[in-house]
Amino acid sequence: MGIKLEEVTKIYESGEIKTYACKNMNLEIKDGEFIVVLGPSGSGKSTMLNIISGLDTPTSGKISIDKDIISDMNTKELTKFRRNNLGFIFQQYNLLQTLNVAENVEVGREVGIDPFEIDEVLEQVGLLDQKHKYPYQLSGGEQQRVSIARAVVKKPKIMFCDEPTGALDEETAKEVLSVLKKLNEVYKTTLIIITHNPSIGMMADRIIKLNSAEIVEVKENKNRLSAYEINWN
Amino acid sequence: MLYKNVFRTLKKQYIQLLLLGVIITSSSFIYSTMDYGVSGILNPTEEYFEISNQEDFAVNLADYFTEQEELYLSETCLITEQVFTLSMLKQIDKSCYYNILDNRLSLITSQIDDIVLEVREYKDIFYELNGNTTKARILKDMSVINKSFMVSGNKPINSLEIAISEAYAKNNNLKINDEIIINNETYTISGFVLFPDYSLAMFGDAFIFDNKSQTVALVTDDDFENFDEQIQFEVGGTYTNYTEESFKTEVIDKYYNIESINTFVTNMIQTKNNMRSGAIYGEIEGGQVTGLGLSVLIIAIGILIVAIMVSKILEKQRGAIGILKSLGYKNSEIALPYVFYISILALPTLIFGYFIGYWFSDTMKNLYLLFYLLPSQNIDQNLMTFFISVIVPFAFLFFFSYLVIRKILNQKPVDLLNPTVSSNKNKLTMVVSKLLGKKRVTKKLKHLLLYRSLMKFTVYLIGLFYAAFLIYFSFSMVNIFDRMLLDYYDNTNYNYVGFCEEVCPSTIGNQDKVITIPSALLNNSEVSVVGIDTVNFLHPLLDMKNDDITTKLDDGIIITKSLALIKNIKVNDSFSLKIGQFTFDVTVKGITKEYSGSKIYINRELLSTELFGTDGYYNSVYSDIELSDEDYALILSNDKILEQSEEMQKIFGLMIGLLMYVSILIGGIIIYILTALTIEDNFYNISLFKVIGYNENEINKMILGGYSLYGNIIFLITVPITFGMLKLMEVMMARYYELILPLQISWYHIILALVINNVVFFIAAFSAKRKLKKVSLQEAMKMYQV
Repeated sequence: MGIKLEEVTKIYESGEIKTYACKNMNLEIKDGEFIVVLGPSGSGKSTMLNIISGLDTPTSGKISIDKDIISDMNTKELTKFRRNNLGFIFQQYNLLQTLNVAENVEVGREVGIDPFEIDEVLEQVGLLDQKHKYPYQLSGGEQQRVSIARAVVKKPKIMFCDEPTGALDEETAKEVLSVLKKLNEVYKTTLIIITHNPSIGMMADRIIKLNSAEIVEVKENKNRLSAYEINWN
Repeated sequence: MLYKNVFRTLKKQYIQLLLLGVIITSSSFIYSTMDYGVSGILNPTEEYFEISNQEDFAVNLADYFTEQEELYLSETCLITEQVFTLSMLKQIDKSCYYNILDNRLSLITSQIDDIVLEVREYKDIFYELNGNTTKARILKDMSVINKSFMVSGNKPINSLEIAISEAYAKNNNLKINDEIIINNETYTISGFVLFPDYSLAMFGDAFIFDNKSQTVALVTDDDFENFDEQIQFEVGGTYTNYTEESFKTEVIDKYYNIESINTFVTNMIQTKNNMRSGAIYGEIEGGQVTGLGLSVLIIAIGILIVAIMVSKILEKQRGAIGILKSLGYKNSEIALPYVFYISILALPTLIFGYFIGYWFSDTMKNLYLLFYLLPSQNIDQNLMTFFISVIVPFAFLFFFSYLVIRKILNQKPVDLLNPTVSSNKNKLTMVVSKLLGKKRVTKKLKHLLLYRSLMKFTVYLIGLFYAAFLIYFSFSMVNIFDRMLLDYYDNTNYNYVGFCEEVCPSTIGNQDKVITIPSALLNNSEVSVVGIDTVNFLHPLLDMKNDDITTKLDDGIIITKSLALIKNIKVNDSFSLKIGQFTFDVTVKGITKEYSGSKIYINRELLSTELFGTDGYYNSVYSDIELSDEDYALILSNDKILEQSEEMQKIFGLMIGLLMYVSILIGGIIIYILTALTIEDNFYNISLFKVIGYNENEINKMILGGYSLYGNIIFLITVPITFGMLKLMEVMMARYYELILPLQISWYHIILALVINNVVFFIAAFSAKRKLKKVSLQEAMKMYQV
């Protein structure tokens, strides 16, 4: 599924003070692409993700995903759209503590139209042998992999990840990212990761840099740039 | 600053706090209103019973004659005509009547030591007042036991003066010196009277004791004798050298083994088991226990809700508390604002409830006096009631809240600063999860989210059980008077009963010949006998399934449901029936759906043949058209009885309404508070579900669906429990008071209760659901976890 942003702006108003969270953003993301959005804190990364994914609405501008203009959708339509097309992974795993691994994944599967089998997805994220464990019995990286499986199982066309490795150590973060990359390759899912960590950008097809609520750079990554190049060039 | 922070936090939950305030207020309100209400009648009543020398026990004497008495009638009194009852004898030969009664009392006192007995005579009279039919039980004054007690005015000393109950006078706007017309004579009200053997105006087997359509009354002895109505009598007794318990074991449990008296003593009952004289003892005791019990239950619910709310608030602020602790604040400094605001909420609401209860206690007292014929006094406040209704619950609330606060504050600052991740170590949740097996995860969640918050869930279950029980109990009383009385009159077609003088006039049209015998002995139990024709116009006998069983009279007798329940009689049981000097064997062939009276029906022609050698005898007539005063000694109209019953049904209707209101209010408040708390607890879950793409309906089912489901389950589980308790009440009432209270729950009551539960749930959870809509989608991305 391709995504197109045209002159998207989001303004937060507090009395007479106007704060731009996104300013005149124009962007096109191709079907199956792996995108990393980079930027410092307060650059508007999360707002951009919220708006693209229909979790929030823009103040002006147009967002279309394939032929659907999501900026014109009402709450019910957005819910249905998310249900059928989108998957989310957050920094916090938000697993339901009363459910075991397989059941947590089932929460995502229940809303899918043509979902994957739970075991198949757990196999992909390397947790099949731990499917009966409860979240408190897992490490942070394992919990994040459960939340990835929960997002993937309903076969979303686009996956949004907001700082998916933010709460993990470096080694575990690498594991989680490799899982995400693998899923992108296996299932051809459009993958959009938001992070302030330039090293994650090394794995992406394209890198989008934000600063002060604006897209300041869009960089192709066919040659697999280094973290240093991503950050400074 | 800390106070400001706590205040602002609490302010956000003002609806929950307001409703919590209602619950806390209810607790002290119920206790103080019940306690003060009872105290308003307790002290003067004790004094009144002492002055009037209330009976310790009552003796029921058979209205029929023993063999020796029949011998005495024929040989000493020289009575040749057929006399079946002592009541009839009084009309024929007063001295013989009193001799027989005196002899009976002497026989009893000769067999049972240390007792004093006295006969209470009375007559029941119907008359019109303000266009309504009312009934007076005219009691002949006694000289030693159960003496009349004037509340105000004077005892009647002149002819055509009457003293009535104050409650009846109030209900009918009568004052002293007003006039009422009875049997075409004008009586002047000389005063308001009470009789200690009638603390409840309950004049028969039916559960009628309203004070608008009936009164106890006192006239001069001459006027009493001049009433034509049939004389009836009871015996009141007092004892010395016995305790309540020893009298029961030595006398009440053994009197029927004494041969010289068991031929005419049909029952001996202690005052506390006698509905008309002793129900007030149970009522006072029950009122105080109920008041305390309800109050404790409600405050327990209140304490649990406070504990849950405080715990939630503190959990939300654990990070801030961690910072405060790391800055060097002491636990007591952090705890104090919370304790302060809990006290600010609890103490004034408890005091408010106490004062409303005190103010309402006069109404409570008057509610007692709506039924009970007792003196009353002004209600004064006392420290003990204040202490129990305000200080004790406050202390518990304070203590438990402090415990919850301490539990969280005792954690190390570093632990408080780290967000908690609740684990699934609750064993019950694990068990439930296993029990639910491979059910869909959304269905599983509906249950698991409840079991995870066990305390909240327990409060919900207890609260709803309590509400459900009250609702079913209210329903069981609906149409109770229809079952006790009106059904009987609906199923029969006569409107008048005429009691003949010596010879009955011939019946015309659809009139039925009937033999009425007010007192006979079925084995050892006193019953009234009604002889009707197997083929009759106006009195079909219907069983519980509404099938006509009148023809079964050809094979034996048919008894009322109330007699069957009180004496545990079943179809095909055989008995000896003694009517006057005649004794014959009978078999029970059917049970009618009558819940009033220990009555047996018998084939009139067979009874007539047994008693008189001819099948043509009858002493009363059932008629669907009005009967002439000239032809009959006494005519009773069914309309009069029905009017009384309807009056009583109205009073019960009010009680039912009040019970329903209380139960719905309590249920509604509990549902609202707990569903709102649940939504707050699941803020991040809800947000996550929304992000994943679950719609509001699906989320609502997962988060609140469990409450709805378990609410309905509780309502269903309460059915057999209530049913069992109603049966127990029925048995206890039959055993102790020989009274049948047909409390019934029907299938449509269950459906209606479920509908009420769901409507209340929908309304109470409606506001909570609005919060559900407000949960932001972005919350799922924030720090804290559930």
